[in-house]
Amino acid sequence: MTNEYVSALYTWGQFTPEFALVALAALILMADCFVPQISKRVYPIVAAAGAFIAAFFMGQTSPFGMIACVTTALVLLLAYDYRKVTCASVGGAGVEEGTTELYSLLLVACAGVCALAEARDIIMLFVSLEVVTLSSYVMAGYFRRNQGSIEAGVKYLVLGALSTGLMVFGAAWYYGTTGSFMLSAELVHSLFTCPMVELQTGFFLAVGLLLLGAFFKAGAAPMQIWIPDVYQGSPTPVSAFLAVASKAAGFAVLAAILVPFSRLYSIHPEKVGIIVTSLAVVAAVTLLVGNLGAICQNNAKRLLGYSSIGQAGFILVFFTNIGTPGMMEYVVGYLVAYMLATTAAFYAIAMVRTQRGSEEISAFRGLGKTNPRTAFLITVAFASLAGVPLTYGFLAKFYSFASLVEATHYQSGLIWLLPFMIVGAAVGFYYYFKVLREMYWEKPQDGDKPLNVPVITAAVLTGCAIAIIWLGTEPLIFVAQ
Amino acid sequence: MIQNTPWLFLLLPLVVAAINWLCFKKCACMAATLSILSALATFGMCVAYLMGWQTGTPDTYTWMPALTEGMPSLSVGLLMDPLAMRMMLVVTGIGLLVHIFSLGYMKGDTSNHARYFTGLSIFMFSMTAIVLADNLAMTFIGWEMVGFSSYLLIGHWFEKASAADAAKKAFITNRVGDFGFLIGILLTLTVFGTISFGEMGGKAAAIAPAVLTATIICLFCGAVGKSAQFPLHVWLPDAMEGPTPVSALIHAATMVAAGVYMLVRLQVSMGEAAFTDTACTVIATVGAITAVLAALMAVQQDDIKRVLAYSTLSQLGYMVMAVGLMAGEAAMFHLYTHAWFKALLFLGAGAIIARCHHEQDIWKMGGLTKRMPLTVICFLMGTCALIAIPGFSGFFSKEAILDAALAKNPTFFWVGAGVAALTTFYMARLCLVAFCGEARAHGAAEAKEAGPTMLLPLLLLAVMAIISGYGFVADALVPFEGFHAHGFALGLPFYVSMGSLVLGLLLAYLVYGLGKRKQDPLAGNALSTALRKRLYIDEFYDKGLIALIQGNAARVVEFIDNAGIRGILTLGGAWLIGKIGKLLTWFQGGVLRRYAVVAALGALLFLLLIASATFTH
Repeated sequence: MTNEYVSALYTWGQFTPEFALVALAALILMADCFVPQISKRVYPIVAAAGAFIAAFFMGQTSPFGMIACVTTALVLLLAYDYRKVTCASVGGAGVEEGTTELYSLLLVACAGVCALAEARDIIMLFVSLEVVTLSSYVMAGYFRRNQGSIEAGVKYLVLGALSTGLMVFGAAWYYGTTGSFMLSAELVHSLFTCPMVELQTGFFLAVGLLLLGAFFKAGAAPMQIWIPDVYQGSPTPVSAFLAVASKAAGFAVLAAILVPFSRLYSIHPEKVGIIVTSLAVVAAVTLLVGNLGAICQNNAKRLLGYSSIGQAGFILVFFTNIGTPGMMEYVVGYLVAYMLATTAAFYAIAMVRTQRGSEEISAFRGLGKTNPRTAFLITVAFASLAGVPLTYGFLAKFYSFASLVEATHYQSGLIWLLPFMIVGAAVGFYYYFKVLREMYWEKPQDGDKPLNVPVITAAVLTGCAIAIIWLGTEPLIFVAQ
Repeated sequence: MIQNTPWLFLLLPLVVAAINWLCFKKCACMAATLSILSALATFGMCVAYLMGWQTGTPDTYTWMPALTEGMPSLSVGLLMDPLAMRMMLVVTGIGLLVHIFSLGYMKGDTSNHARYFTGLSIFMFSMTAIVLADNLAMTFIGWEMVGFSSYLLIGHWFEKASAADAAKKAFITNRVGDFGFLIGILLTLTVFGTISFGEMGGKAAAIAPAVLTATIICLFCGAVGKSAQFPLHVWLPDAMEGPTPVSALIHAATMVAAGVYMLVRLQVSMGEAAFTDTACTVIATVGAITAVLAALMAVQQDDIKRVLAYSTLSQLGYMVMAVGLMAGEAAMFHLYTHAWFKALLFLGAGAIIARCHHEQDIWKMGGLTKRMPLTVICFLMGTCALIAIPGFSGFFSKEAILDAALAKNPTFFWVGAGVAALTTFYMARLCLVAFCGEARAHGAAEAKEAGPTMLLPLLLLAVMAIISGYGFVADALVPFEGFHAHGFALGLPFYVSMGSLVLGLLLAYLVYGLGKRKQDPLAGNALSTALRKRLYIDEFYDKGLIALIQGNAARVVEFIDNAGIRGILTLGGAWLIGKIGKLLTWFQGGVLRRYAVVAALGALLFLLLIASATFTH
C-alpha cells in the first residue's frame, strides 16, 4: 500500500466538499465553546446552509453524496424546529446548553457519506463508513434524559459492532484472495478467468461478508433487526438522518461492491449468478419483514422504520439487474423519491410530537379537519411512499418492477421475486394509509387545537409535495438522467 | 418559441377555465368576459392560420417515451392539417357565437354564471384537444374531457332532478361507447404498432381483414356513444335539459360530431384499405337505422328542443352512413353545413324559449312571426337549410351524401331519401305550429324580439346557413383536405330529393294547415304513442336491461363478493398476513440478545447461500 496506489485512485481536490463539511463542523463546535454570545439557534441554520452548498458540489460528482447532503440540510432545519424537545431531553427544558454538538455530528456523518460515495477501494469504503457509523451511535443516544434514546444508542452500538466485525472480516478475505483492496471490474474479471477456482470460494465469502455490512446500513434482512427500535428511540431528526442519509450510504457501499460485477455478469451470468440470486432472496425476505411487520405498528416512527425496511427491499430489486448498464440511475431515482417522502413524513411526526406530545399514529387524528392544507401535504408524502400514481413514489416502484422484468433476461428464474413485490406494494397501501385514516376519518378530540405549522416545516412539506407531484408526472426525468 | 403559438389553442381556454374557477367563482361578469375573450382569440388565430399565417411545426411534448423498441411513446402533439384547422374554425366560430349568445340567454337566470362559463371554457379546451390531436391517446383524453364538460353543462341546473338525471344518463351511456373505443385504441396499438395518426398509413394491407374489422368496429363504438348512434342514442334527447346555448354548441354542432370527425380522421390516416367491407356495412347500417328511427321519433315530439335533438340524431346518422359508404368528404361537408344551420336552429329556439317565458312546447306557442319576426326569419333560414331547399347550404351537402349512396349502394340512397321526406315533414310541422296562427298561450302572446347579444349570433349564423354550401365558401372552409364542391347535375338524386321535399311540405300542410289547429291531429293512435315514447327503447333499457342486470347478475356478483372476495380473500388474507406480521415482530420484541442471535443466524444463512455455488464445483 503505497502513496502511488492512493494517488492513482483519488485526488485531494475531489474531497473538497467533505473537508469543508468537517471544517464547518469544527468551526461550529469552536464557536459554540468560545463565543457564547452567538445564539444557539444560528448553528443549525448555518450548518444547513453549508450542507446545501455541499449538495450543490456533490451533485456534479456523486448522486449518493448529494442525496446525503440534501437530507442532512433538511434534517438540520428539522432540528431547528425541534429545538424545544431537544433542549428538554438534553439539558432540561429551555436550556440550550449542549445542543450544538448534534449539528456538528450531523455534518461529520454527512461528510462520511460523501466520502463513501466516492470510494473505489475497501480502505476508503471502510473508514468513511465508520465515520458515519460512529457519529450515528452518538446521535442515536443524544437525548440523554430520554431512556428510549439511550437504549437506541446502545442497541445500535452493539449490533453495529457485529456488522463492522463482519465487514472487517470480509475485507481480510478480500485481500487474502485477490491481494488487493481495489474494487474494480478488472479485478473481478481476472479472478473469474484465472484457473485457480479455489480462490473463487474465498472471494464469494469476502463479497458476502462485505455485503452484510452494507445490508446493515441499508436496512436489508438479516441485518435490519436494529431498525425499528433505533428509529423509534432516537431523536426524530436523527431518525430521519438514519432513515435517508445512512440508508443512502448503505446503497452506495452496495453499489461500490456490486457494480464491478456488472460486465462479467452480463457476459457470463452463470459465473456470478449466485450473488444475484442471493440478493433476490435477501430482497424477498426484506420485503416481507418490512411490509408485514409494519401492519401492526401504532407508533409513527416505528412504522417508518418498518417502512424503510420495506422500501429497501424494493431498492434491492434494482441490484438483481446489475447486468444492465445504467441500473444505478434507477437506484438514485428511487432514493430521491424515498428521500422526499420520508423527510416530509418525519417533519410531520416532529411537528405533531412537539405540539401534541405524542409520536403515536393516533396523534394525527383529525388533522384533515383542523389543518386541511398541512394534512393534504402529509397525504402527498404518504401516498408517494405507498406508490399512488401521479406521485414520484409510483414511478419509483414502477421502475423497480420493470427492472425485475429486465433482470430475468439474464436469469429467467428470478421472476419468483414478483409475488413478494406485489404483496409488499399492496400491504404498503394498508399501513401507510393508517396515517391518512387517522387524519381524515377520525374526529379531533376535545381540546385538539389546530397545529401551529412552523415556517420551515411548512416550506419543506410544500416543497416536497410539489417535487413529488412534479417528478411523478414527468417519467422522462427518471429515464433521461 | 414562435412555432409553439398553436399551443395557445389548447392553453388559452384551459388557463381561462382555471382562472375562472380559482378566482372568479363569485364574479360572473369577469368570468364571462375572460371566456369570451379566449373564444375570440382562438377564433382569430384560427382565421389567421387559414389565411396563410405560418409559425412552423409546433413541438410535440412527449410524456412517456417509448421504453422499448416497437412500443409507442405517449405524447401530446398538434396535427394542423386542413382537416383539423378547418374543423377548428367550425368549433371556435360557433363557440364564439354561442358564448356571446349565452350572455343574453342567461340574463335573468339565477344560477351561477361563472360556473357556466367555466364549463364552456373547459369544453372549448377539450374539443380542441380532440380536433388537433395527433394520436389516438390524446383523442381519447379529449374524448373523456368533452364528456366531462358535457356532464357539467347538462347538469348546470342541477337543482332540477331531470337535469341531474340527464347529465348522469349522458355520462354513463357514453361510458359504454368509450369502453369499446378504448379497446379499439389498444387493438390499433397492437395491430398497427402505433397510435399516431401520422404513422398509420399504408400498414392496413398487411393486416388480416378480420382483425381490421374488429379494430374499426371497436373504434366505431366510441363514435356510437359520442355521436349518439343507435343503440346508444338515448342520452342526446335528454341532454336537452341543459341550457339551450349548450345544446347548440355541444349537442348539435361540435361534440356530437366528434365521432364523425374521428372516423374520417381514421379513414384519412389509416387509408381506405383499413375500412373493410364488413366494417363499412356495419357503420353505414347503424347510421341509416339511427337516421330513420330518429326522424320518425321527431315527427311526434312537442318540445321544440326535442324535435331539434331528434333531428340532430337523424342528421348524425346521415353523416355516419356517409362514412360507412367511404364518402368521408361528403360526411365532413354535411358535418360542416349542419354545424352552422343546426347551431342557428338551436340558438333560434333558445331565443324563442327565452322570450316565451321558458316555454318549450310548440303547442303553447303560435303566431310568433308577428312578434319576433327577425328571430323567426333566422330560424326559417336554418329550417330551409335543414330540409335542403335548393340554394341553401344543407341542400349541397345532402346531395353529396345522396350521390355517394347512389354510387355505392342504392338501398342507402332510398333510406336517405325517405329520411329527407320525414325531415321536411317534422320541420314544417314545427314551423307551422309554432310560428303561424294565433298565440295559444300566455307566454307566446307576450313574446317580443330577442335582444342584440342574441340576435347578432343568429344573423351571422343565418348568413352561414345560406352561403356555406356554395363552392367559393365551401372549398375554403370544409374540413377536408383538397375538398372541392362538385357542380351538381340534374339527375336521379336531384329529382328524388325534390320529390321528398315537396312530399314532406305537402303532407305537413295538409295535416297542420297554417297553424289553426289546437292540438296534433296525428296524436292518439298506437303508432303516435309509440313514437312519443321513443319506440320504448329507453323504457326497455330502464326496465328490461338494467333491471335484469341489477336484479339477477348483481345477486351473483354480490355472492362472489361476499363469500369469495370478502370472506376468503380479504378477511382470510388479512388474518393470514396479520399473523405473519405478528410473528415477524416477535423477533423485534426489544431484547438485544435475541436481535444479535437473529442477525448472526441470518448472516450465516446468507453466507452459506452465497458460497453454495462453489460447493457444487
